[in-house]
Amino acid sequence: MKTTSRSVGSVLLVLLSLAFLSPIYLMLVNSFKDRAELYRNALALPSSFSFQYYGKAAEKMNFMTAFGNSLFITVISVLIVVVLASMTAWMFVRTDDRLSRFLFLLLVSTMLIPFQTLMMPLMQVMDWIRTNLHIPMLNTRGGLIYMNVGFHASMAVFLFHGFIKSVPVALEEAATLDGCSKFGLFWRIVFPLLKTITVTVAILDVIAMWNDYLLPSLTLSDKALRTIPLSTFYFFGEFTIQWNLAMAGLVLTIIPVVVFYLFAQKYIIKGIAAGAVK
Amino acid sequence: MKKVKTLSVLLTATAMAGVLGACGSNSGDNGNNVSSSASGAAPSASNASPSASGASSAAPEKMKKISLFQSKVEIAEPLEALAKTYQKETGNEVEVWGSAGDAYATQLQAKLAAGEGPTIFSVATGEEADKFKSYYADLSNEPYVKDIAPDMALKDGDKVVGVPYGVEGFGLVYNKSLVDPKDVTDLDSFTKTLEKLKADGKAGLSLSQEAYFLIGHIINTPFALQSDPQGFIDKLNKGEVKMADTKEFQEFAKFMEAIRADTPNPMEVKYDSQMGDFATGKTAMVHQGNWSYSMLADYGDLGFDVGMMPLPLAGNDKIAVGVASNWVVNAKADPDEIKAANAFLNWLFTSDSGKNAIVNEFKFIPAMTNIEASNLDPLSQIVYEATKSGNTIPWAMNYFPQGIIVNDLAPAAQEFFMNKNMTGEQFLQNLDAAWAKGAK
Amino acid sequence: MSTRYRKEKAWYALFTAPLMIVFATVVIIPFLIGIGYSFISWDGIPANPKVFVGLDNYTALLKDHRFLTSAWHTIEFTVLALVLVNVLGLAFSLLVTQKLRVSNVARTLFFMPNLIGGLILGYIWQFVFTDAFKSIGEHTGMDSIFYNWLIHPQTALFATVIVFAWQMAGYTMIIYVAGLQGIPDELIEAAKVDGAGRWHRLTRIVFPLLMPSFTICLFLTLSGAFKIFDVNLSLTKGGPNNATELFAMNIYNEIFGYGHYGLGQAKAIVFFLLVAIVTLTQVILTKKREVQY
Repeated sequence: MKTTSRSVGSVLLVLLSLAFLSPIYLMLVNSFKDRAELYRNALALPSSFSFQYYGKAAEKMNFMTAFGNSLFITVISVLIVVVLASMTAWMFVRTDDRLSRFLFLLLVSTMLIPFQTLMMPLMQVMDWIRTNLHIPMLNTRGGLIYMNVGFHASMAVFLFHGFIKSVPVALEEAATLDGCSKFGLFWRIVFPLLKTITVTVAILDVIAMWNDYLLPSLTLSDKALRTIPLSTFYFFGEFTIQWNLAMAGLVLTIIPVVVFYLFAQKYIIKGIAAGAVK
Repeated sequence: MKKVKTLSVLLTATAMAGVLGACGSNSGDNGNNVSSSASGAAPSASNASPSASGASSAAPEKMKKISLFQSKVEIAEPLEALAKTYQKETGNEVEVWGSAGDAYATQLQAKLAAGEGPTIFSVATGEEADKFKSYYADLSNEPYVKDIAPDMALKDGDKVVGVPYGVEGFGLVYNKSLVDPKDVTDLDSFTKTLEKLKADGKAGLSLSQEAYFLIGHIINTPFALQSDPQGFIDKLNKGEVKMADTKEFQEFAKFMEAIRADTPNPMEVKYDSQMGDFATGKTAMVHQGNWSYSMLADYGDLGFDVGMMPLPLAGNDKIAVGVASNWVVNAKADPDEIKAANAFLNWLFTSDSGKNAIVNEFKFIPAMTNIEASNLDPLSQIVYEATKSGNTIPWAMNYFPQGIIVNDLAPAAQEFFMNKNMTGEQFLQNLDAAWAKGAK
Repeated sequence: MSTRYRKEKAWYALFTAPLMIVFATVVIIPFLIGIGYSFISWDGIPANPKVFVGLDNYTALLKDHRFLTSAWHTIEFTVLALVLVNVLGLAFSLLVTQKLRVSNVARTLFFMPNLIGGLILGYIWQFVFTDAFKSIGEHTGMDSIFYNWLIHPQTALFATVIVFAWQMAGYTMIIYVAGLQGIPDELIEAAKVDGAGRWHRLTRIVFPLLMPSFTICLFLTLSGAFKIFDVNLSLTKGGPNNATELFAMNIYNEIFGYGHYGLGQAKAIVFFLLVAIVTLTQVILTKKREVQY
């Protein structure tokens, strides 16, 4: 009895996901069609599954270089965000004074500012840092990583903050009595308890940074520095878009993230998490 | 508590330093302007050019590496290849940047704000060229400038500041086996042709939902037919004239009524499907330019010939031809870079490799007297011939106030096509109202 | 006492200052500069003159009918999106945390839409709303529901809500899943032993314990909806007749379309203040309902 209801549930779930995914179906099938076929029937399966557009897209995008740039920028940015944001959020929760509350509110409220209104002043600030402090913020991977950290700080702190509040203080008090320094306390006792939320933050930030177009397009100019999304510009004319290459390029862009997600979600599966938070 | 203060002071200090710094950087920029713009950079650029042209005959001179940023994605790859050829021939480097077509202007603006501006960049003629004009180096004395076809150079006052990409033209692109130009000579015959084609189960004409293809290009005709289009636009901006009171626009409204009555709703048509319908013979005419041929080429053998004819509005018998984009040199760049930029442009417009790329790789209709067009596609051939014979009307839309086509005229046109009860007269009144808003 | 206190503060600075400094240079300072620009008339070209105009930009925006309409549409959009995104996200998270064989697959599938952005997204959905909807309407006879949604002002806004929800539901799902995983099994088991039904367990035990996740997801959806730009641009470009021109797009058009930099910034500031008041109230309200255990 129970197994039947389970299988019915499974079937329903699969159907629901498929309906949810129909737009992705459109993206996939149309990455195999030329303009004439795309025009004739966008909804149907392609007449042939030749991967020529994938090859062409990868070649035009200079895929391996772009992949390397994206990987480097995303991994370093996410690592820094996770480390700094978890520390900051923990301090804010455990030192619940006026300053903490103010800074927390400041972080959170800036999540409401549309990026479009910040971009021009941001460029000017980066220019100022470059001319006066001689740190090359623009047209460098490091500069983009720095800005990535700044823009993703708010949400990461916000998520960690919410989660840390449900972590019992008792554990930490015991460790403090054992003479643990704050640093050791955080990294040895607290951080391991944050695995679920850390993975969540990492997933969300990886998606956002990996797919980001606007910020990298403003800061990176040289061809050698282009990330994967930037490299797809070849397919997007102002009016004439090469849809097959664009869609093939997009599929190539998102495959690494899907692989990462499949890998990462193991860490937020019940059991590991439940063992940690009690 | 004291430490809290120290910390917050520290943070505020950092913040303040940044704020002051940013303001400082602006004034710094302005300081640079005084020293290096018109007075500084331009003369040095013109001084540089003779040596640059001299260099082309002797051993190539080692120049500073420059960057080039431009909006036309279609030529991005050939341009990168050309930069490689340039390096091979002269030993000098050009870094070609890239941007998706519709993001270009914003990125250019942001990069200029960051002091990261490219050495050479492109600007669309008209409002965009006007917007960035404080950045243009004076090219008047550069050797390649003398080859620009008459009236085609981008000018700021008397100074030549930009070199055209090439010319482009638009009008009614038609299927020669479905339409005879003799049946499309005025409003009456135009309407009859649309009706007849509709009865045959064809779409007589198709506009499409993109702002320029919906209204921007087609409304160019009544403007271009004014005796002084630029003067007319100025008066319109000041509210001294109204479209609703002007004869050519009244006829334009009738054309639009006919299009709405007898052709598919353009709001449901995208550029892609517009050209697809045309390529497969479902649509007899599209209001498009020679650039659309690249779309048609993707359909292989069409089975019919294509032509381009004028929109026969108020007796108009000419297609609209203009310069869409221009190369300009960033006056705020370092003088050595400006020199290198001029050397590159000179090479582009005078060397065989450069000229060949413009015609055969970029597939532009050249706007230079020293470059012969060859192997043009049928639509470009028509535009080229019209240009040579001077049988053209101008792109008056280049003088429209900034952003008005996309932000004001397009919404008014959308409303017209959605609301079948709106008369052409009301449409003109709406356009006038939209213009008043957009021109403020 | 005082050395210990000082030490605490040093630790505090060590833990928080690095992030706050980066954050300040990247977000706060540009925002402050932006506030400065809202009192200035400027076209956004660095070399062009900036003229101080006081509060002119602010008085101008109050008379800007298009901005006010756009603000109203944004509110309408946000409310609808908030409900749809969170209902879907929560439902998905409950589904994929059931111990079904396909849960892992479904979890990945629901999350996929997040990865499709920009112009492609708009292109695909235009097909759904124009071509697919039309052919469904013609084949089923339900053409009063299935027609081209993008050319009618009201349905075009709904279409934008649907696309946004499609993208965002998987996003909130991830956060709800994290929250659900944090609920101790013992609590649920104990309730089962006490004879609590499925619905009862959900509303009395799971939802209250999920309050922190609600706070987070509501806020994220809210901020995402207020700032929506990509979906807006690629799906409708604000049309028809500006009926779907949402707030961020209105500002973008003001700044980069018309070249009214100061006015665009003033709009951003005003809207930011309004939204901040609303959302912070929301955060404070939901936070009060969170339970500690």
